Amino acid sequence: MTGRQRKSHRGRLVVLRRLGQLVFLAVFLVLFVKTDYNGSDQLSAAVNVLFRLDPYLASCVMIGAKAFVALFLPALFVVLLTFVFGRAFCGWFCPMGTLLDLTRKTIPAADQKNSTSFPRLGLFFLVLTLISSAFGFAVAGYLDPFSILVRGLAQAVYPAASSLTVEFFTFTYRELPDFVNAMTEPVYRLLQVTVLPSGQKFFQLAYFSLFILLGVLLLEVVQRRFFCRNICPLGAMLRLIGKKAWFVGHGGDDACGSCRICSRICRMGAVDADRTIDMGDCNLCYECVHTCPRKIINFNFSRSGRKMPGVSLSRRRLLGAALAGVLLPAVKEVDVLAKNPDPLLIRPPGALREKDFLQHCVRCAECVQVCIGNGLQPALFQAGLDGMFSPMLVARSGYCEFNCTLCGQVCPSGAIRRLTIEEKRQLKIGHAWFDKNICLPYAKAIPCMVCEEHCPTPDKAIRFKEVAMKNEAGQEITIRQPYVVDELCIGCGICENKCPLPGRSAIYVTSAGEHRHPEKSLVSHAGYN
Amino acid sequence: MDRRQFVRDVLFWTAGLSLGVPCWKSTLLQAAPPPPRLGLAKGKDYRLLVTGALELVGGIGAFVKTGDNVVIKPNMGWDRTPELGANTHPLVVRALAELALDAGAARIQVFDRTCNEKRRCYTSSGVIDELEKIGDRRIRWEHIDERKFVPVDIDRGRSLKRWEIYKDALTADCYINVPVAKHHGLSRLSLGLKNSMGVLGGNRGHLHHDIGQQLADLATVIQPKLTVIDATRLLLRNGPQGGRVADVKVMDTVIASADPVAADAYATTLFDMQPREIASTVAAYQLGLGEMDPARMEIKTVQV
Repeated sequence: MTGRQRKSHRGRLVVLRRLGQLVFLAVFLVLFVKTDYNGSDQLSAAVNVLFRLDPYLASCVMIGAKAFVALFLPALFVVLLTFVFGRAFCGWFCPMGTLLDLTRKTIPAADQKNSTSFPRLGLFFLVLTLISSAFGFAVAGYLDPFSILVRGLAQAVYPAASSLTVEFFTFTYRELPDFVNAMTEPVYRLLQVTVLPSGQKFFQLAYFSLFILLGVLLLEVVQRRFFCRNICPLGAMLRLIGKKAWFVGHGGDDACGSCRICSRICRMGAVDADRTIDMGDCNLCYECVHTCPRKIINFNFSRSGRKMPGVSLSRRRLLGAALAGVLLPAVKEVDVLAKNPDPLLIRPPGALREKDFLQHCVRCAECVQVCIGNGLQPALFQAGLDGMFSPMLVARSGYCEFNCTLCGQVCPSGAIRRLTIEEKRQLKIGHAWFDKNICLPYAKAIPCMVCEEHCPTPDKAIRFKEVAMKNEAGQEITIRQPYVVDELCIGCGICENKCPLPGRSAIYVTSAGEHRHPEKSLVSHAGYN
Repeated sequence: MDRRQFVRDVLFWTAGLSLGVPCWKSTLLQAAPPPPRLGLAKGKDYRLLVTGALELVGGIGAFVKTGDNVVIKPNMGWDRTPELGANTHPLVVRALAELALDAGAARIQVFDRTCNEKRRCYTSSGVIDELEKIGDRRIRWEHIDERKFVPVDIDRGRSLKRWEIYKDALTADCYINVPVAKHHGLSRLSLGLKNSMGVLGGNRGHLHHDIGQQLADLATVIQPKLTVIDATRLLLRNGPQGGRVADVKVMDTVIASADPVAADAYATTLFDMQPREIASTVAAYQLGLGEMDPARMEIKTVQV
């Protein structure tokens, strides 16, 4: 009787954990979808809270920026949680972990021995990225589980799902009879107001973002939670803290004989051959407690937990990580981009100075996802090897909407400042230039004013001068040719975006004169035309 | 048979004899249709302005019948608030929607293909807010649904032969065009014909090459039953999107007419310009789409 009660009690914790995982995954997905303009200038909810909970990103950003970043205060909660409960965060909260657990049935793990393949790799990455951040090469976002997850979803999965859905309902709308549409159209409308994005977005690095996410999922083929155990630097950090957790698990003993179910089924490889539970690895999934035939595994608060052999880097590896962490930033200084930044690298309005910006940016793709005009795109090498996935404005893809401040609102690390609308409207992120070789009024004497028409500054930054010129028929005509007013252009890129020429635009934006680098101002330098 | 065809037939059957009679042509033109009616309302209450102007051209009942599918096409193409004069005033749109409901409309659709981000435009224009205040399920504001663009042959077009047009604008029982009167850098003014660009698909920037004729060509296939021009505020400079209150002149006027060319032509005079200065008006007149000479219109004015 007692045994059965205990059994159901133990099973209940597994159910509770799974339920918790699903609830947190659902909350994450709801926040993800809600990271979008909602009809008001201020966002009510955004998925950025996930990143602000991340102590790994928090430490990399703060070490890199050499400053306290208050936005990351919630990360303290995860640290405290780990001091008490070990890596419960990994087992109960982390949406990436939940996704990996959900693949269990579809991607069976090959490894039966269940010992973590590269137990020190995550720690190596952690040390490497922390040191390289300190010296100015901040790439924590490349490996952070949330960054990988949100990038993959925002830049590939979500837009692709939207495209598929729209294509399906376009087919039903155009090809199928009315009675079918009477059923499908309400469904489409419901999807539109609930989960579909308001319009189709397009991303550079869509494949790349997807492949990284898929790679993490497919590594489950090697062993359960491969990413969490072998790569995840956040996991490695929580492991260091979790080892000293107050809450400890007590495994089996010699009386178990040859039974090693607990160590075989452990998804984190936390139970060793002696059935000792390593709280640095255990993510409190409770499967072993539930499955143990003897029901002797239990968890409780204990200060006298068994001393764990610490997982630490060998001196050689530590040195390697430190060396790489210093070398990469050093080489960054001699990359040609350090001297000549890519002129097409236009940062979102409110972005910090380039160096600080990269130190803060955690490559979460939040700004890219929320950008209302689909203008922000993840960079590849435009910002250097350490600038991958950082946001840049690609005006032919989309422009920076004059009255929109969403990117600064969702940025979890302060890499993009929160701006008031008044500030935003004044902020120069780049500068527009005409390509007179192809611009219609210049090249062909054909009247056109689409750029001027869309130019959003109340004092138009694009104006006309009347010029007499011969058109292609040889007739002398008066034509209005557009030009850019240096003091007024804010570089939003709507001109480049709306230029009716097919392919290349006759007006394009560069980062020239951007607000972040006042020393390179266009206006103060005479002769810069 | 339209007017041009009539003239051609007359010339044919008289074997050119009529060419010798100089007065014939103009007599014929004047004799053909009755002068278009144009209602002009002035006053501070923008909802009453719409009712007033419509009364002068036969009331809403002359345009909207019981059970009609009505499309109201305001200009809400810019992420600008009402006082900046870039979009149709929300109260004008609301008044029209309410009148159409009273006339028994079965469904009222309100949409525009915007220049700035669509949701921002709809919100900032204030139109959504006013329509929601009516709280009637028959009113449906919607964002442009790309699936509804259909290629249309423009048989009478001189410069434009084919373009993608929003299906609902073509199939509505009553299509009401509700532009805001404003300055425009290329076409000089943006009025009713220009507002029709909001139901076009494709790359609209291409239309700017020969905009006057192309707008007129479009008007041969996009035919509003009723044009209501919102001249409550005139955007005098920096059109079509403006951005400064200083560029806006409060005019407190609404114009209504079944004749799209007449409405545009009269609205032009509010800017102290002549209808012949607007290329699209002239081109549309030459296509026989309506009257452009205010002297040949039946203009009634009411102060509300």
